Amino acid sequence: MNFPGFGILKGLVVTARNMGGSYFEKARLTTELYPEERPTLPENSRSFPFLVYDGDDPEAGMRCVSCKICEKECPPQCIFIIQDRDAGGKALKRPKVFDIDISVCMSCQICVEVCPFESIRMDQEYELSSFDRFAPLLLDKSRLLKSNAYYRSIHPTEAAETDARIESEQKKKEAAAEAKAAKPAPSPEAAP
Amino acid sequence: MKIIGEWFVLLPAAVLLLAAGASVVMRNLIHAALCLTLSFIALGIVFIALGAEFVGFVQLLVYVGAVAMLIVFAILLTRPDRLTKSGTPFSGLGPAGGAATGFAALVVLLAFIFSSPLAKKPLPAPASAPVAAIGGALMGNDVVALIVIGVLLTAALVGAAVLAMEDKP
Amino acid sequence: MTGMIERAPIEILGWFLGLLGSFGVPGWILAAVSAVIIIGTVIGIFLGLFALTSVMERKILARVQNRYGPNRVGPFGLFQPVADGIKMITKEDLVPRTADKAVHFLAPVVMMVPALMVLAIIPYGRDMVPAELNSGILYFFAVGAGTEVAVFMAGWASNNKYSVLGAMRAIAQMISYELPLVISAIVAAMIAGSLSPSAIVAAQGGFAFGFVPQWFVLTPWGFTACLVFYIAALAEANRSPFDLPEGESELVAGHLTEYSGFKYATFFMAEYVGMFAVCGMLVTLFLGGWQAPLPFLTIVPSWCWFFAKVCFVAFTMIWVRATLPRLRIDHLLAFAWKFLLPMSFAAFLSAACWHYAGRGPLAWLLSLAIVGIPYLILGNSFTNRFAVSRRTYQFSE
Repeated sequence: MNFPGFGILKGLVVTARNMGGSYFEKARLTTELYPEERPTLPENSRSFPFLVYDGDDPEAGMRCVSCKICEKECPPQCIFIIQDRDAGGKALKRPKVFDIDISVCMSCQICVEVCPFESIRMDQEYELSSFDRFAPLLLDKSRLLKSNAYYRSIHPTEAAETDARIESEQKKKEAAAEAKAAKPAPSPEAAP
Repeated sequence: MKIIGEWFVLLPAAVLLLAAGASVVMRNLIHAALCLTLSFIALGIVFIALGAEFVGFVQLLVYVGAVAMLIVFAILLTRPDRLTKSGTPFSGLGPAGGAATGFAALVVLLAFIFSSPLAKKPLPAPASAPVAAIGGALMGNDVVALIVIGVLLTAALVGAAVLAMEDKP
Repeated sequence: MTGMIERAPIEILGWFLGLLGSFGVPGWILAAVSAVIIIGTVIGIFLGLFALTSVMERKILARVQNRYGPNRVGPFGLFQPVADGIKMITKEDLVPRTADKAVHFLAPVVMMVPALMVLAIIPYGRDMVPAELNSGILYFFAVGAGTEVAVFMAGWASNNKYSVLGAMRAIAQMISYELPLVISAIVAAMIAGSLSPSAIVAAQGGFAFGFVPQWFVLTPWGFTACLVFYIAALAEANRSPFDLPEGESELVAGHLTEYSGFKYATFFMAEYVGMFAVCGMLVTLFLGGWQAPLPFLTIVPSWCWFFAKVCFVAFTMIWVRATLPRLRIDHLLAFAWKFLLPMSFAAFLSAACWHYAGRGPLAWLLSLAIVGIPYLILGNSFTNRFAVSRRTYQFSE
């Protein structure tokens, strides 16, 4: 026995429940009012790279040694590095100029994967729009340097892992240096 | 006040004549149909101004709502491509002959109207509840008219359904 | 006190006219001024309602769809119609080069005028009808027929085959649903004994058993006629689920494709004002007009009750729009001719039998049967049509 209209009534009840429930249950109103409410991004979300520094002084604690591997590996070639030289012209293990053009960067994270010194990591900031197409989107070293504490705050798991790795390598180096210092000097009678 | 009362009838009547004349003369068929619709509306207003509310509203409801749409659909479905060009006239009379024929028809109609017994009777007083009076007359004295119209409409509906029915294998 | 609030609009108008008259203004100018004030008030109220509805509809639809509606412009987004109005006014008015200019221009006008004219016979409160007509219901439908001409004009004048198709479908829909609309209205007029809306509202006055209102919707035939009228009204106003003529995913915008800017806004306005007018008519015919539902609630002024009921009916129309998918054109027309029309006749017969059986308990049972049996028969006849049967092939010989 088919009663036309009762299905429609059931549908109306479903709709009304959603309408009324949207005032009380969050599940029935999932909109996040941007920019008043920002979405919670997952931990691994990324936008553009930044340079990590340890400690308080950006220039002194910078982990980058200007090896230029990331510059070579970057697919759209948006990284530009000039190595610092001291007064005598000898190369120093730090960059003088480190530019990333984020209007070109495609957030592929290859620079992070190839960096041997854990010095370049991905940031999560996405509100970077500007009125000028060029200057504000070319990040120089001063805008790229962010502290390790900041890195820990945005990527806790990764940062913990990185810090552990750095610490273990530090310990290994110290152990190797100690072992070397503790070893006796090689005897001059070593056979040629 | 009487002048205003007369103008309520004369103005729509003038619009009616103008619109009807325009619909005859116009080249664009759809424009002609719309002018005809305007003349229907004007006729409805004339009826209302003369005190026949019911007939006036029914005129609007039936003619403007249904007959005008019927005319328009008929034009659209039968000759959508040659709307702006007027076709060849059916007879060789030309405009003067057409006007003369129309005038002759008008004279004959007026003669019949004025010589009918309805024109000789004095005007009855308007009924207090005109719609009820019309309904009573249709169900009482003039019920034959109602039944005949009902049969006609049923035949038309059945015919339309038959025409529209698909041929069953 | 409540009497004062209730009669406030009439008293204010009377005081103002008296003030003018004391300045020696002749009688006919007073009549004209009174007409202008009443017309202005009614149109102002309904345009205000239109603005409010356009935003409330979007917000209610949004809440049903798990999102906020407009909530940026003004508190809770209530000034959104102002933003929409500014947008519509400043948009470029495009007229296709090969379009029929005169007809294209006149179509929105011809659409808007009947929608506004129809508001004249609705009783907004006790003694508050702008135009007291003996055959008001007939006037309503006669003037409403003008909307169909406008739809055709809009569709044809755009010189666009999709517009013409949309217009033809729209007209077919409107004509098909006009019959159930008129017949279900006649049901109420028949029982009330008059075509005048005020008389129909007055016939629904009084309370049976002291507290049950005697609205027509609370009778079997009245309930059926009210539902048929409601569904036919949805179709006449081209509202979902009958909005195939103007569905955005179907024919772009159907007969409104080539309209932009203020002309489109006029069509939009005419649709909403028409929706409110037909809600007002439904409230007048079946829901008791300005009558209060319970005896002790008569303290609330009559026009408050009227607008509350109209807003409630409009809310259900929005609710239905949020719930139901669009009907296909052949389903739509089949529904009108094969279900609604017989049901409206059943309601008509049921009302007549109820009246002539003496309006007692037996009459109620009889009228319920006369409405219920066709409903069950028709309801079950629809399902068999789409039953899947063994496929047969017919090859040409």
